[in-house]
Amino acid sequence: MANKKPFIFSQIETYRKQLEIKHLQTNNRFVVGIVLFMMISYLVYMLVSGYAFIETIPLMVGFLVVLILNIANRAYGKEHNEFYQLNQYITTVGLFSLSIAIIFLFQSPAMVIGLFLAYTVSAFYQDLKVLLLSNIILLFTVIMIIVHYPQFLGLESAALDSRIGISFFFVAFMIILSLSSYLIIKQKSFFFNQISSSKESEFRNLDLIIDLKERIGETKESDDLYFESLSNFLAAFCKKIKSENIFEEKVEILKLLNKDISFEEILTKYPEYTAEDLSRMEDLLISKHHKLRKAAMKISYMKGLVVEKREIFSETQFKSFNHQSDSMEIKIIAFVLFYTALKKGFALLPGLDEKSIFEALNDSDFYYYMDPRIVKIYHDNSEVFDAIVKDAFKKKVKK
Amino acid sequence: MRDFLRRVLNTEFLPMSEVRRIKVSLVMIFLLVMTAVTIPFSIFLDYKAQTKIIVIALLLVFFLVMVFSIRWNKSMLAMHLTIIYSVALTMFYTLGSATLYAYLFFYITLVIIIFYQEIFAYLVYGGLVLLFGIFYTIIHQDGLVLTNDIPGSAYIYIAFLIIFYFVFFIQIFLNEKFYTDLNYEWVQMNHVVDKYQDHILFYMDIIRKEMKDSAFYEDLDFQKAADELSAFIYEQFNQSGKDIINVLDLYLYIHERGIEKILENEEFSISTKKIANRLSKYLLDQRTEMFSMIINFHTKFRQTSPYKENRYLYDIESITAETDEQIIAIALIYLYLSNEIIGLNEWEEMNKVLTSEELDNLFLSPEMESFMSSNHLGFFKDNYELFKEHLSKKKK
Repeated sequence: MANKKPFIFSQIETYRKQLEIKHLQTNNRFVVGIVLFMMISYLVYMLVSGYAFIETIPLMVGFLVVLILNIANRAYGKEHNEFYQLNQYITTVGLFSLSIAIIFLFQSPAMVIGLFLAYTVSAFYQDLKVLLLSNIILLFTVIMIIVHYPQFLGLESAALDSRIGISFFFVAFMIILSLSSYLIIKQKSFFFNQISSSKESEFRNLDLIIDLKERIGETKESDDLYFESLSNFLAAFCKKIKSENIFEEKVEILKLLNKDISFEEILTKYPEYTAEDLSRMEDLLISKHHKLRKAAMKISYMKGLVVEKREIFSETQFKSFNHQSDSMEIKIIAFVLFYTALKKGFALLPGLDEKSIFEALNDSDFYYYMDPRIVKIYHDNSEVFDAIVKDAFKKKVKK
Repeated sequence: MRDFLRRVLNTEFLPMSEVRRIKVSLVMIFLLVMTAVTIPFSIFLDYKAQTKIIVIALLLVFFLVMVFSIRWNKSMLAMHLTIIYSVALTMFYTLGSATLYAYLFFYITLVIIIFYQEIFAYLVYGGLVLLFGIFYTIIHQDGLVLTNDIPGSAYIYIAFLIIFYFVFFIQIFLNEKFYTDLNYEWVQMNHVVDKYQDHILFYMDIIRKEMKDSAFYEDLDFQKAADELSAFIYEQFNQSGKDIINVLDLYLYIHERGIEKILENEEFSISTKKIANRLSKYLLDQRTEMFSMIINFHTKFRQTSPYKENRYLYDIESITAETDEQIIAIALIYLYLSNEIIGLNEWEEMNKVLTSEELDNLFLSPEMESFMSSNHLGFFKDNYELFKEHLSKKKK
């Protein structure tokens, strides 16, 4: 997957990873639960079948090691996210090791099916590398059993075709389950991509609205009025709770931040604060493009927002120039209009130069939202595209 | 084939319905291979030759129906047909044999059902396969259990099948819940962004008119560029450029007349109306998919603040963890909402300040819970009078 094109908004990469880790943690809880259940089932089987308790110990230790390593990795994962990744691999290898140990211990075809369970549980992680690891282990284990230990499957005296038959079923199982896991992983990526892209779009659209409002002269109430009202409110609140005004200093700092006074200057005046405090407090400004203003704007837009049940999983939510229902003519027109509009530009969004468009269309995830045949024509003839637009706009567009 | 493979590899950029089509196609290929490989094996099954021929012929007919249903875009129907086909194939092989092969078929069939990740299909078809698998194992345990096998091995076969079924049931259930939640969040985000872009279009239109600039679809230079580019691309597909110009003309005409009028007009053929309808999502004078994609693409080239961990979080607790700062934030948000022009008129245009009642309703609405905790809202209620007195819009 290394050759996948990067996201058009590089900022979303970190957020996407956060979503992945959150999902991974949830799935890991279920993996631990299932491993625990398997451990108890194994213990119950051994005791009910009349095995001595001492015989259960080696595998019980194995189960406990897998669980302890899982818990330890999760604990370290809070500090370094790499441990969450490591946890998936260790648990997968651990589960397969236990399944193989069970096969060797019992030497019964019934226990070979345990490999399916190990595969199933590791599929919970929904990770491509884990999937690859599971496939490799399962494939090698099955080959090893069929070639060297056919007695585990009751095949010691079986003909070659029986061995091939069994191998075929294992491979068929592996292929279809791998494809299934692969598509689940892709589906998950689809939502992670869409949500994180929407979040970045929201961030940038809010910036654009602020600039457009300013451009058309729809100005905000003056910042002085805000600070005056805020100070009065906080003073009245402190009076109500019979306390001294604990907010005064912070409001003064906010006023300085609002005037774009440098951090150094503010810190000289207020040495008990740190640059980190000031950076956080900057988000509390309700002016320009600051965070709190965006939050307030978002609240105003969220008013009365309703999501209908039928809209969930509706295809109309998916924005692309590569809809399967569109004919090639429509796809071409969509691409051409998009390209020409980018070249021409809008208010506050000046026309883009050819290099920027070319790079963003060919080397970002935006590529996947267009018909690859059309992008290829553009890729191979970008100079012709540029010349046609320049000629039509009589060289008014950017070079 | 290359296109299909490319689509499989890039499924994370495809909508759910297309992913389902891909899934059905993949299962069909898999079933075709399974059937082709296992037909020779059917010679060894305990059926009469007549039964074998009839069943195989029926499976082939069934397969053809599946091919047509996917061609006619009935992917949901095709999905059910592929599952029924695989169940039928399992029954055919398992009822005619009592070996480990036959037992493994239950897993293969369950995996095919799992492939679709549809909870009801899994419950119904998967449940049937599970019950049949348990029944089969009990009936044919002599064929499965070895002479010196471990104690209770027949029950181990059953236990593994049940655990396999339930582990995947949990997985599908969790995935379904997870995807529904993600989808809800995504749709909600889309709605909010759509609202932003409604206003972006509105403001841009004001600026364009102010600059006495013509709209894209009225701009002859724009039309000329679009004409020539469309013809150029179309010709690369060895098609006459003239054909696409007709579609482009229709596109421009939709801007002039409006899509509703074109769809209502009986003079237009059904195919023209279909094309017009499909083109309507790319109009440039409305907040369409096209407008949205242009704006999102364009914003990449605008300056943006450096990434912070709370970049996409707008609730007060994510903005600051300090209690005193949270109080300042609540007060400032109230001030903003009471003083700025955020009230909508009947045409959904933001052109008025909220009334005191509208503001109270907004502050106490469920939407507010995404921005403020119960403590914050409690603070607002406890100090309501102070909010009114000091932070409401001042009459000038």
